[in-house]
Amino acid sequence: MTHEPVNILMVDDQPGKLLSYEAILNPLGENLIKANSGREALEVLLKADIAIVLMDVSMPDIDGFQLADMIREHPRFQQTAIIFISAVHLSDLDRLKGYERGAVDYISVPVVPELLRAKVTIFAELYRKTQQLERLNHELEQRVADRTEELRESEGQFRSLANSIPQLAWMAHPNGDRFWYNQRWYDYTGKTFDELKDGGWKAIHHPDHLDRVQNSYTSSVESGQPWEDTFPLRGTDGSYRWFLSRAVPIYDVNGKIARWFGTNTDITERKQAEEALVKSERFAAMGRLAGIIAHEINNPLEAISNAFYLLRDHPSLDEEARYFAKLAEEELKRVAHITKQTLSFYRESQQAVQVALAEVLENVIELQSRRLQVGGIILEKRLATDGVIHGYPVELKQVFLNIIGNAVQAMPNGGRLRIDLRESWGRNNGHFGVRVSVHDTGVGIPPEHARKIFEPFFSTKDAKGTGLGLWISKGIIQKYGGTIRFRSMRRGERCATCFSVFIPTAVSAESKEAAQVLVA
Amino acid sequence: MSDGIPVILCVDDEPNALVLRKLVLQKAGYEVITASSGKQALEMAESRPIDLLLSDQLMPGMTGTQLAKQIRVIAPKTRIVLISGVNEMPPDASVADVFLSKVEGPDALCNTVASALSKL
Repeated sequence: MTHEPVNILMVDDQPGKLLSYEAILNPLGENLIKANSGREALEVLLKADIAIVLMDVSMPDIDGFQLADMIREHPRFQQTAIIFISAVHLSDLDRLKGYERGAVDYISVPVVPELLRAKVTIFAELYRKTQQLERLNHELEQRVADRTEELRESEGQFRSLANSIPQLAWMAHPNGDRFWYNQRWYDYTGKTFDELKDGGWKAIHHPDHLDRVQNSYTSSVESGQPWEDTFPLRGTDGSYRWFLSRAVPIYDVNGKIARWFGTNTDITERKQAEEALVKSERFAAMGRLAGIIAHEINNPLEAISNAFYLLRDHPSLDEEARYFAKLAEEELKRVAHITKQTLSFYRESQQAVQVALAEVLENVIELQSRRLQVGGIILEKRLATDGVIHGYPVELKQVFLNIIGNAVQAMPNGGRLRIDLRESWGRNNGHFGVRVSVHDTGVGIPPEHARKIFEPFFSTKDAKGTGLGLWISKGIIQKYGGTIRFRSMRRGERCATCFSVFIPTAVSAESKEAAQVLVA
Repeated sequence: MSDGIPVILCVDDEPNALVLRKLVLQKAGYEVITASSGKQALEMAESRPIDLLLSDQLMPGMTGTQLAKQIRVIAPKTRIVLISGVNEMPPDASVADVFLSKVEGPDALCNTVASALSKL
């Protein structure tokens, strides 16, 4: 085994002894340096790294013990092995004196060559090992320093990366508490770190989703499983956008979770596109179905109607039979009316267009104008906006024809009809849209009817109504993600009823649920 | 218009509907001939003059509007009324003078036919 030779300093005032030590130690292959006095030895020590000092105790000028004291005082040589060689002074006291100076060993004269070689070999190895250790230690320190620098660099890179991605990003402690957000997070929410901590983050969640989100996040944090959920988050402008949110655990070297890294990806547009697609497919399917049903019902209906029409005045019938035929014919008219009302529901399902509600309302008002005039009804209209929405003109006209028609019919003895159209915020969802209010001073809606008026086949008009008008209207408005509500107040003999229709102009967080209601 | 009584060519693939519609129109005083397909209707329109075509829209082989277009070529003066059991108007509905829903009933049918003939 080759090894790096170490320096061994031999100090003796007698050159002969130095030569003999040299002869004994030569086979070890170390560097042997000779010094004839303590002074010379010190000079060597200052210049070279010495592993072992082999010295005579009794020397003129500086003796071995003095030299050992001087060597030990220097921090560089505190680890240096010192072996004393002495012919005299070998009392226990002397040995103790030597040990106090940090001497590591004594060898007495006459020197046994094997013993000296053995001792020197051990100390030389020890020195080499110590050197190696120190080198290793130094390397390790260097590596730690390098790694720290790398980490600092990669941390810096991570932050700039995290700030450049289009997602909102954050990090959390193993217990789920968030300790860092990227700049986009702050930009989107408009919140500071302090506002978000201690549950402050709840404020940016939609109340309908908060519990579920909290539960799914907590259970992921507890189980250590990656987290994924989709929910709306509120931006600085107060409106919600949908985010696909994911978090993964980051492990330390021991396989324990060190932190969570999470992102929130804005999927509002994707969701809108998907919803629009689903909606249009659903419309198309409903349209086809309505068409098929209409065809299957209307054809026999026409034949039966014609049959009873012919039967009604048939000469062979007596008066009673004719009466029965007449009743049947009347009932058939009701069936015809219902199929016209319901199965024409999706009549124009081809393509949604830009519809100005103001125009729709003007249209409906014109259709009602004769009844208003004849009925002594004063009309006030305040169309404060065009109310442009994306939709189907005929079904929207059907809704307002229904509501306004009801208002007119509720005022058989005249009254006041007010129609408002304005931009507005939705009451529950905080979304922007248009609101149409129709006020009348008619007979009012008694509280016992309030819960039923949007149900199918509920009518107060006996044979005149199908009881489907408001039910259909509600279905149409819900399809737009909107709401239809009414209020009716009675004070003495006077009544005031208001129907309010809200249609969002932007897709809201609720539209999906609204669409589900419609399908149900 | 022979003898002042208008002739109506009534077309439908469903026999019951066809015969009942014919009877309603006969009761209203018209002369009615019937065909159970567009093809048959075209043959009849070529062999004798008719004043008004009353055809169902959805029929196998040839739709009401397709038939109407050909009638317009053979006998341009013929009034055309199309009736349909579906609520959706076909894109080429304007080829007819009137496009009527079947559920409007016999009175509406007679009124429509009378009004179309009055424009003759």
